Amino acid sequence: MTIHKELSIPYLKTIGIVNNGFNGRGFQNPHSVTIGPDQKIFVLNRCDVARRKAIRIGVMNYDEDYLYEFGYGFGSGEGQLALAVDMVFDSTQRIHVTDEFNNRVNVYSETGEYLTKWGESGSGEGQFDGPSGITTNSKGEMVVVDQRNNRVQKYSNDGQFIGQWGQSGSREGQFNLPWGVCVDGFDNIYVADWRNDRVQKFDDSGNYLMSIGSSTPHDSKLLRPSSVAVDSLGNIYVADWGNERVQVYDDNGVFVNTLRGEATLSKWAKEYFEANPEEKETREISDLTPDLPEHLNSPYHISSQTESYFWGPVSLCIDAYDKLYVVETNRHRVQIFQGAK
Amino acid sequence: MMSTQDVKLMAHLMRRAGFSATRSELEKFLDKGYEQTVEDLLSPGDPGNMPDDLIRRYHVEQSELRELSGAGAYWLYRMITTNNPLEEKLTLFWHGLFATGYAKLNQARALLNQIDMFRSYGLGNFKDLLIKLSQDPAMIIWLDNNDNHKDAINENYGRELLELFSMGIGNYTEDDVKECARAFTGWTLKNAEYMAMRAGKDSIWPYGRIAWHYEYRNDDHDEGKKTFLGHEGNFNGEDVIQIIVDQHATAKFVATRLFQFFASDDVDSESHDQVISEMVDAYFDSGYEIKAVLRTLFNSDYFKSQECMYSRVKGPVESVVGTARLAGSYQQPHLDVDKLWFQTMFMGQGVLAPPTVEGWHEGVEWIDSGSLVERVNYAAKEFGDTTKSGVRDIITRLSRTYSEQINVPDLVDGCLDLIGPIQVGDNTRDSLIDFVSEFSDNNVLDISSFDSKGSKCVAQTLGLIASTREYQLA
Repeated sequence: MTIHKELSIPYLKTIGIVNNGFNGRGFQNPHSVTIGPDQKIFVLNRCDVARRKAIRIGVMNYDEDYLYEFGYGFGSGEGQLALAVDMVFDSTQRIHVTDEFNNRVNVYSETGEYLTKWGESGSGEGQFDGPSGITTNSKGEMVVVDQRNNRVQKYSNDGQFIGQWGQSGSREGQFNLPWGVCVDGFDNIYVADWRNDRVQKFDDSGNYLMSIGSSTPHDSKLLRPSSVAVDSLGNIYVADWGNERVQVYDDNGVFVNTLRGEATLSKWAKEYFEANPEEKETREISDLTPDLPEHLNSPYHISSQTESYFWGPVSLCIDAYDKLYVVETNRHRVQIFQGAK
Repeated sequence: MMSTQDVKLMAHLMRRAGFSATRSELEKFLDKGYEQTVEDLLSPGDPGNMPDDLIRRYHVEQSELRELSGAGAYWLYRMITTNNPLEEKLTLFWHGLFATGYAKLNQARALLNQIDMFRSYGLGNFKDLLIKLSQDPAMIIWLDNNDNHKDAINENYGRELLELFSMGIGNYTEDDVKECARAFTGWTLKNAEYMAMRAGKDSIWPYGRIAWHYEYRNDDHDEGKKTFLGHEGNFNGEDVIQIIVDQHATAKFVATRLFQFFASDDVDSESHDQVISEMVDAYFDSGYEIKAVLRTLFNSDYFKSQECMYSRVKGPVESVVGTARLAGSYQQPHLDVDKLWFQTMFMGQGVLAPPTVEGWHEGVEWIDSGSLVERVNYAAKEFGDTTKSGVRDIITRLSRTYSEQINVPDLVDGCLDLIGPIQVGDNTRDSLIDFVSEFSDNNVLDISSFDSKGSKCVAQTLGLIASTREYQLA
């Protein structure tokens, strides 16, 4: 076991710009990111109420070339999504997207063809009340957080129920509106136990192993964690949503670092300012990391006024090269860091 | 033992100092008594409203607060679920008096920060409130104080501070306006140039809105001597506000506006003047405390009189929020909560979007044929759903008070009582009875289960009562 007293996690770049319309490059309240074939980056746009009919997945590469997008509109019809939360590729390169309103998982091909759906409303086996986080393990099984049923469920990648664990509560193995989920290289399962302010780690069978974030020193405690990811060395990254930051722990759950966000202008943002030089001019003489008055010093308020900081970090993803992708739904962008090499 | 009069008086207080109250809430207040309830309303504790984390998780637009409808819905959630109704009602009052709108700001977060400020200071000292108002970034952009410089004043904020926010026209001169503006030079917001440009262009790029906060620029403040309302000195904004709050005209203005919002749309009788005079005394005796002014009002004989009851037209927000609270709606995050904000807009009072700096024209001007249809349809939809907790509570109380097999007149009278109590004329009561009778067998309806025909009839009757003139009055 290695304890990383100082874990360097350098910032790499930002991808994104707010998209105020109904299609095209840019993001609209992104809620999840996953990496597909050829390192293509898939971003799930949950979309606000005004633009929800354009709920979609945008596809780009690391160089910020916007490649294509797909979506079938807002609703409960075939291929449609209402409140999309998370997505993941399965072992056959199909994308599974959770929908916490429709209580189902939609399945699409890599190019956006709608294939099928699985799950239905309820609290029995194979049923959901608010499916949120989704991931897949080395056996090709799908692991889904069933938030309002306060449990984790396992399915085959064609939606056949395999097993479940968890119940409402705050003890080991219990949950309070859990959100995100991930697995590590040993198929251990990490669940962002949102309203219990912790991440719980389980083995592949759902046996409780440890909790992270609830008994650490005060300044490193989690507040409403939304997502979790693990790099190839076992370091654990937690989207500390309520504190607008990412907390990093070693494989033993010992706190090692905090990321607050350091976004720079994306390629698309630079192009915007090239077309709007007067706005760029006033921006350049502004202080965009100001000291704030006391009454606005909550993490939420700080982030709402400090553009480079994380604001609404809802989802994390680690790619095959240990790059960490932090999705900020309120800032319509993804900040990318280099995780442990 | 509570009397009918006690219930009527408490319901009146809660319609005015809140957004109506369910019968369960009324019973709790009645246990405490009227004066203690007034004191509790004036000393709000934990609001117990829907938590921010739940709202932000399920409503991305209410987390980001980029646009108007999401921000409006966010505030409506709070009004509907708060345990501190007067705190929210008074915040709505200040929002109407110090009317600041989204149209020019293009910044919903700043507006909600202003609303938070009203919530924090609204029951406190009027001097503190005016200072915070003058430092509020939304107000600064709304009335151009970011363009008020020591070498080129902009009078807009100084003028409205005197005319619309404190003293009223006729109590100051044009020179006072200019001197007031000079005192507020340098009161601006951080990165004013960039933020004003973004507001002007409605720019959300590249990464959404950047919220605002106040900044004082000493190098842009006019340090010269000023003459204001007969006083001379090197006044800054705080000094000017001290002079303003000391004016009798200010006390009368504030007392009158509070009286019109909480007691009577019109000020047209000696009893009205008497209460306002007592409110003015409370203002000075307490050192400008709004809480003291409101305590005087709510405990006055006039406020508790039959004459005061049902003498105001409910504003659209009062109507929407009050009905939602009575029906038990929106207690959990709801996919379509944004429609609530549109509902207030269609009825003529979109929160965070007052038509001008003068706010809304209230009283009978709230009602026209279009807005009345919106009110009636909205209430009918809210009350017409027997899955809602408030509707179920009324059905349960009816079956407990009368019988699971309830006769038609009892059903009508029970609904009128539990939705208010509301007293309607004989013709209205007869019409309601005729309506309900059509659903009954031998003038009796079964309300033993929530999905029975009788229970559905109760829900429809509540919706029908909500269309009466009496329900539209507070």
